[in-house]
Amino acid sequence: MKLSKILLPAVALIISAFTVQAQHVSDPSLVAKGAKVYSENCGRCHNARPAEEYSKKEWSVVIPHMRAKAHMTGKEALAVEAFLDSTLTADIRSDDHSSTKDKPQRTGAELVAGFGCQGCHKIDGEGGALGPVLDGVVASKGAEFVIKKLSDPKFNNSASAMPKYPMSSTDKQAIVDFLSK
Amino acid sequence: MKIKTLCKALTTALLLSSASVYADGNSDLDIGRLAIAGYGDVGLTFQDGLKDEDGNDVQNNVQARFIPIFLFQMSEKIHIESEIEFSIDAEGETETELEYINMHYFLNDNTIITAGKFLLPFGMFGANIHPSWINKAASNPGIYGGHGGNGSMAGVTSIMSDTGINIANVWDLGDAGRIFTDFYSVSGPRQEAGDHGGGVDMGAKKGDNNDSFAFGGRVAYAFLPAYELGFSYYSGDYSNDGDLKYTAYSVDFNWIGSFASIRGEIFGSTAGTEWEEEVELEDGSEEHEEFEQDLDKSGFYVQGTWQARQLGVNWLNPVEFVLRYSQTESDFDGSVTHELEEDGGKMGSRIYYGVNYWLEPSAVLKLGAESTSIDDEDKAHDGVAEDRVFLQLAFGF
Repeated sequence: MKLSKILLPAVALIISAFTVQAQHVSDPSLVAKGAKVYSENCGRCHNARPAEEYSKKEWSVVIPHMRAKAHMTGKEALAVEAFLDSTLTADIRSDDHSSTKDKPQRTGAELVAGFGCQGCHKIDGEGGALGPVLDGVVASKGAEFVIKKLSDPKFNNSASAMPKYPMSSTDKQAIVDFLSK
Repeated sequence: MKIKTLCKALTTALLLSSASVYADGNSDLDIGRLAIAGYGDVGLTFQDGLKDEDGNDVQNNVQARFIPIFLFQMSEKIHIESEIEFSIDAEGETETELEYINMHYFLNDNTIITAGKFLLPFGMFGANIHPSWINKAASNPGIYGGHGGNGSMAGVTSIMSDTGINIANVWDLGDAGRIFTDFYSVSGPRQEAGDHGGGVDMGAKKGDNNDSFAFGGRVAYAFLPAYELGFSYYSGDYSNDGDLKYTAYSVDFNWIGSFASIRGEIFGSTAGTEWEEEVELEDGSEEHEEFEQDLDKSGFYVQGTWQARQLGVNWLNPVEFVLRYSQTESDFDGSVTHELEEDGGKMGSRIYYGVNYWLEPSAVLKLGAESTSIDDEDKAHDGVAEDRVFLQLAFGF
């Protein structure tokens, strides 16, 4: 009897340990994690695909398919969906991530963190390897190149998976200033 | 009392395990029900001595395929997917093939149960890499036989898909990487018809020819994003009476860099065989004799890719180079008259050189050349080693 009282809750706890913590796909903290998971998993089999290839609703159906293909956990799949959602222009302009006239201007560091740039790019030795290292990119390629890349990621490479983020000119300049340091 | 306690514990566990990833079920989230993804390709193959099914000379071979994947999200726990291939045959008729139809049940954060017809997790190419926009080359590795056509090479195995159930798990080891496991049980292979013992038919079919299921699995260690090493095993009875076994193994290795990749697979397969022959005795009379023998095949392929964007020249950014070498061998020495012996004349090596131009992250124009060398062409019943040139437009959508 004592043994069953100990074992059964233990079984319940073990099973529940595998459950997904309740978390919303729009949780901003998921974006950076999702960018990292996206960078680490998508390129294992194929070129990473930019968010604009599907709508948010389509991604919500495609991601479970890719979860099974890539052996992602449920939490990771949710984070990837959050990252992809965050880069879709139509939605981001109306949520808390956007830089609009009504919102305080975010710093370059905040924007880089918020958009999950280090999911794919290394900065100061930290970040993913899907995209090129960004240390010194402004010095080597010029501010104009970086701003153009932020505006139109495919302008110099049609295979680029970099999302086309909805940024104001001020945002882009803030990122350039951050990457220039 | 024990039953009551057990029920409470199980109920608690099930409720907890059912916790949704989308906790806010009543929100206005953009959660879809149906999506259509997939891929397709248009290809042109140049090959000397190419003939159609009626034996007529064909100057070139144009193929077109459209392969939609229908994805349906029934709930947060249940996901249904189906892939159907549409292509045209030599008569201009539309051919259709159900690649897979299955249901995923997301049991918890780490475990997925899949039931239906699914791509078997045997190696990496068959399960994940074979779609033409993902496959960097315009042809399949030489060790893969069957589906997709492999020219004069027989391949080591053609394990692709079957009907049954699979349990997939991911074990997160933190900074030490992660382990992927898949274990499945499926209907299994069948025995082909043949005068001297039929070969092994790996094609998925309705029902089974014997009462035993095949089983297998893949265990992989991954240190993402760069490294993955997998081990696969497959075993199933294929004869009608269940006394002939087919087994196969695979070791796959993958290194993925930011602008280059190396991947490959090592295959081995063993088919137990039996056949009957009239054997001439010393006194000139004939005797009916039964034979049994295991026939082994093995092989490997290794493929490297390199993206020219490393050169820093804008117009070369979408260009990628591909090199792949495949080799197969068998212990078929011509001493027996089993149907599988024909494969003895289809073992050899193959090299593929290609250059790809990426129009989009999921659309590529491939130009490739492939040269095949068969070790012992005298054993082949038909076909000769060929050199092929491919031009292919492949796209994922």
